Amino acid sequence: MLSFFMPHDHHDEDAHSLLPSEPALRVKALETILVQKGLIDPAAVDAIIDRYEHHIGPQIGAGLIARAWSDPAFKAQLVNNTDGILSDLGFGGRQGEHIVVVENTPDCHNLVVCTLCSCYPWPVLGVPPAWYKSDAYRSRAVREPRQVLAEFGVIIPPEQKIRVWDSTAEIRYLVLPMQPAQSLGLDESELALWVNRNAMIGTGLPQPPAET
Amino acid sequence: MTNSKMKPHHDMGGDQAGPITPDRPDDPIFAKPWHKRVLGLTVAGGAMGAWSIDTSRFWRESLPKTDYQSFTYYEKWLAALTNLFVAKGFVTRDEIINGLPSGPKQPLHDAALDADRVLAMLAAGAKASRPEVTKPLFQKGQKVRTCLPDATKLQMPGHTRLPHYAAGKIGVILFYHGYHVLPNSNAHFLGECPEPLYSVEFSSADLWPDGRAGDVVIVDCWQSYLEPLT
Repeated sequence: MLSFFMPHDHHDEDAHSLLPSEPALRVKALETILVQKGLIDPAAVDAIIDRYEHHIGPQIGAGLIARAWSDPAFKAQLVNNTDGILSDLGFGGRQGEHIVVVENTPDCHNLVVCTLCSCYPWPVLGVPPAWYKSDAYRSRAVREPRQVLAEFGVIIPPEQKIRVWDSTAEIRYLVLPMQPAQSLGLDESELALWVNRNAMIGTGLPQPPAET
Repeated sequence: MTNSKMKPHHDMGGDQAGPITPDRPDDPIFAKPWHKRVLGLTVAGGAMGAWSIDTSRFWRESLPKTDYQSFTYYEKWLAALTNLFVAKGFVTRDEIINGLPSGPKQPLHDAALDADRVLAMLAAGAKASRPEVTKPLFQKGQKVRTCLPDATKLQMPGHTRLPHYAAGKIGVILFYHGYHVLPNSNAHFLGECPEPLYSVEFSSADLWPDGRAGDVVIVDCWQSYLEPLT
């Protein structure tokens, strides 16, 4: 009998269940042990958090979409040489090593989900929002996308087909929304304000920026 | 038909579920401070190179059903990370029970991620693509049939990325992505075994009794998940 490395080989009780029950204390307990044992540099953990809290987020994707709307040559590169152009711009990396851009058209609306876990294009959209990781979204997006979109306030006309992309591999999908007619003629930095995160997942459409 | 009794709890595509609660623009990126700590520990722990992202996913989905369903998102990450550190021998169960390491403070492990390497590590990522070995079996536009998820597993219970809702279904090859690391082996430390990876398009009407003609679902499938349609 071959012995494979499996989660439940030797113990009925998972090691994690030995930690304190309150989640915040549980994390603290584990981190204390890992730091004491030299397995984790707490400054590295701080640096990772700082990247995702303050630097990597949907503003990166919005800038790319706005530029694609403004510059057809850039759009062609973004769609056809996605990883190359993202790497050149310094926007590649962890959980976005293989990105495919899917373009909305009057005939087709794209929607992205990960039914098996929570795969998401981190380098261009940041950390996924809670609803993207929820059982409800993961369960329903592939089966009843039109009802799901309606819960986000998006009504897709019957003649526009829906393509749902289930991110089951390391390919990450980024939706290129259609540019709203009212935004034509705006410059790139103004256009970026029209591109919200959900429009790049497919659960939203570009919107005029909120009045300030 | 697939056997619904065999469908694991993490494989939830198509399940009945309640309404979705969209977030609000001013919601914080991390709802609780400990959430970000779990994220940071998980990314830093993974950067040690002792396990792959496929292993991490497999250990999260292998949490007991009661834990998987009652835990919040970052609790699942934390539980799987704890179990992995113990299973790989970096930490002992006694240390977890006592909340203390068994010996004195250790210098930073050779494989541990130090803060100076964080930016480069995040920017580099870890590509799953590998050089093409032989030409792919399937061509764009070709009809294929998916296997059953258990038929793609290299051991039981094992890891697969073929969801039950798309199992035993007929679809069409939409893209060929080149060779990618096979999660079914890599999750279990059985090697990367790269295979051609395809995006396969299925008609919603073929997947669901209430599926809408014209709408489609695309699932990324490794070559061993697919059979030619004869």
